[in-house]
Amino acid sequence: MATLLRGVLRPLCAFRGGPGPPAGVPFRAVSHGTGLLYPEHIPTSVLQKVLLAAGSAGMALYDPYRHDMVAVLGETTGRRTLKVLRDQMKRDPEGAQILQERPRISLSTLDMGKLRSLPEGSFGCAYLHFLDVNRVSPDTRAPTRFVDDEELAYVIQRYREIHDMLHTLLGMPTNILGEIVVKWFEAVQTGLPMCVLSALFGPIRLSAQSLQLLISELIPWAVENGRRAPCVLNVYYERRWEQPLQALRQELGITEPPLRVEGLA
Amino acid sequence: MLRYVLSDSGHPTVKMAAPRSWALWSFCGCGWSRAVSGCRLPGLRSSSPRGPLGARLLSQEKEATETHFGFETVSEEEKGGKVYQVFESVAKKYDVMNDMMSLGIHRVWKDLLLWKMRPFPGTQLLDVAGGTGDIAFRFLNYVQAQHQRKQKRQLRAQQNLSWEEIARKYQNEEDSLGGSHVMVCDINKEMLKIGKQKARAQGYKAGLAWILGDAEELPFDDNKFDVYTIAFGIRNVTHIDQALQEAHRVLKPGGRFLCLEFSQVNNPLLSRLYDVYSFQVIPVLGEVIAGDWKSYQYLVESIRQFPSQEEFKEMIEDAGFQKVTYENLTSGIVAIHSGFKLYLR
Repeated sequence: MATLLRGVLRPLCAFRGGPGPPAGVPFRAVSHGTGLLYPEHIPTSVLQKVLLAAGSAGMALYDPYRHDMVAVLGETTGRRTLKVLRDQMKRDPEGAQILQERPRISLSTLDMGKLRSLPEGSFGCAYLHFLDVNRVSPDTRAPTRFVDDEELAYVIQRYREIHDMLHTLLGMPTNILGEIVVKWFEAVQTGLPMCVLSALFGPIRLSAQSLQLLISELIPWAVENGRRAPCVLNVYYERRWEQPLQALRQELGITEPPLRVEGLA
Repeated sequence: MLRYVLSDSGHPTVKMAAPRSWALWSFCGCGWSRAVSGCRLPGLRSSSPRGPLGARLLSQEKEATETHFGFETVSEEEKGGKVYQVFESVAKKYDVMNDMMSLGIHRVWKDLLLWKMRPFPGTQLLDVAGGTGDIAFRFLNYVQAQHQRKQKRQLRAQQNLSWEEIARKYQNEEDSLGGSHVMVCDINKEMLKIGKQKARAQGYKAGLAWILGDAEELPFDDNKFDVYTIAFGIRNVTHIDQALQEAHRVLKPGGRFLCLEFSQVNNPLLSRLYDVYSFQVIPVLGEVIAGDWKSYQYLVESIRQFPSQEEFKEMIEDAGFQKVTYENLTSGIVAIHSGFKLYLR
C-alpha cells in the first residue's frame, strides 16, 4: 500500500520547493518556498484532496455555520468544472476582459462613497442595500487555497465574490432558504459539484413548510432562470453599478421571485 | 539508588525572587498576585555569547541566529512569535485535535509518563509547557489516590484511636493531596486559559497553580522542585539547551527531569506509514476540525526537526543531568527521556 501511495504522490513532486524535508522521507505537501502558485496556495496531493473533500462535506453537513468547509469542498472537487467555466469566460468578450484584468471585490476595492451616491433603483444601490439589510460584507470570502492552477484559482475566487451580486439579482436574503435558492441557481449555471451537493443536501435541515415552498415554487423558478441566463461569471459587475437593476435583470433574463423569502426559514 | 528530596509542604504561593524573572501573572486557587521583579528584560538575552567586539562577530552571528520553524528557516527572534501564534490559534481545539490525531493514544502516553514518575504525596511538580493541564490533572489524581491509600493503611494500623482523635480527624481540613503541589507553566496565555477552564469544569482546585513563563527563563528560584516534566513542549522551544539548563537549575538535588516528546520511529514500515499519516492526514484533520491547516503542518514538521532519542539524551547530559535514560513508546513515535540532578554538580 505504501508503494501504491508513493506512485500516486510522486508525480506531484513538482510542487516541492524551499528548504526541503530530510532526505529519504517520502513526499508530502510542502507549503513554503517557491512551490506556490499564488500567495495563499497550499499544494496538496491527490490523497489529501480526497480526504479534504470528504471531510469538508461531512463537516459542512454537521455544522452548517462552517462556511469555510463549503469553500474547501468547492476547491477540491471543482477542477474539471472550473476549466469549463474558464473556457466559457475566454470565449465571451466581457468574460475575457475579467480574466485579463482580474478585478477583486472587497471593501478596499469598492468605492463605497460612489456606490452610496448612486440613484435609487440602480444595481449598485440595490447591492449596497442588500449588504446593509443582511449585515454582510464582501470581505468575508475566504481566499482560495487548494486549487493547483493560478487562473482557475481566480475563477473560483471570482465565483465566490459575485455570490452577493447574485443574491441581489435574484432578490434573495441570506437566510437558509435564500441561500439554497441561490445555490440551485448557481448549480444550474456553473455545474460546480459543490453547488450541486449543497443544493441537494442543504434542504435537509429545513422545516416541512419551507421544504414544500422550496420544491413547489422556488426551485423551479431558480432552475428556469439559471437555464435562461447567460453565464453570470461573464458579467463585469464593477462596470454596471449605474445600470438600473431591472434593466440588468432583463438583460440576464431573471424574473421576479415568486414569493418573498425574507420572513421565512 | 537515589531518592527524591522531600520538601516541607509549603503553601502554594510563589515568590518571584529569581534575579532573572520578569513581569508575570501568577494564578493560584486562592486569588492572584502580580509579581514584578528583576532587572533583565526578555529579548535582551542573547543566545550566543557576545563579547564586547561588536561588528566583527556580526557576520558569524547572522548564521547562528537562524533556526527552523517546521521546514522553514526563520530567525530566532521570529520563531518564538510564530510558535506563540500557532498555539494561540489551536488552543481551543487542542484537546479535540489531540484525540483525533492520535486516535486517543496520547492519553495512554501521558498515563505512562505519570506511571514512570511514580509521584508520592508531598511531591512538588513543575509542568512546563503544560498549558491545557493534562499532566497536572493526572498528577493530582495519582497523588490523591496514593494519599487515600496511605490514609486507609494508617487507619487500619491504628485500631485503638481515642474519641478525641477521631473527632479531630473529622474536623480537620484534610489536605487530600498530602502536601503535593503542581505548578503549570506555559508561555501562551490562550493555552493557560483553556487549562484553567478545564480545571474549573473538572473540579481541580487544591494543589494547582498556573504561571505564565518561558521555559528558557523560568520564573522560579533554584532548587525548588522535585520533578520537572515537559510533555510535547520542548520541540517548540527555540533554545532547547537553555530550557534544559533551566530545568537543571530549578530542580532540587535528587530531582528528576522527565520529557515526553515525539521522536524517531525505529521500525521502517511503521515509519513510512507514520510519515504518510503525518503529512497527508493530519493537516487535513486540522483544516476540517479546527479550520487551520498551517498550524498542523507546522506541528508535524517540527516533529521531524526534533533530534533523535540518542542526540536528545546527549543534550540532556550536557545540561548536567545524570543517569539519563529513554524509553520508546509505540515503536518510537514517542519517547520518555529521564534524567536526575545529583549532588555532584
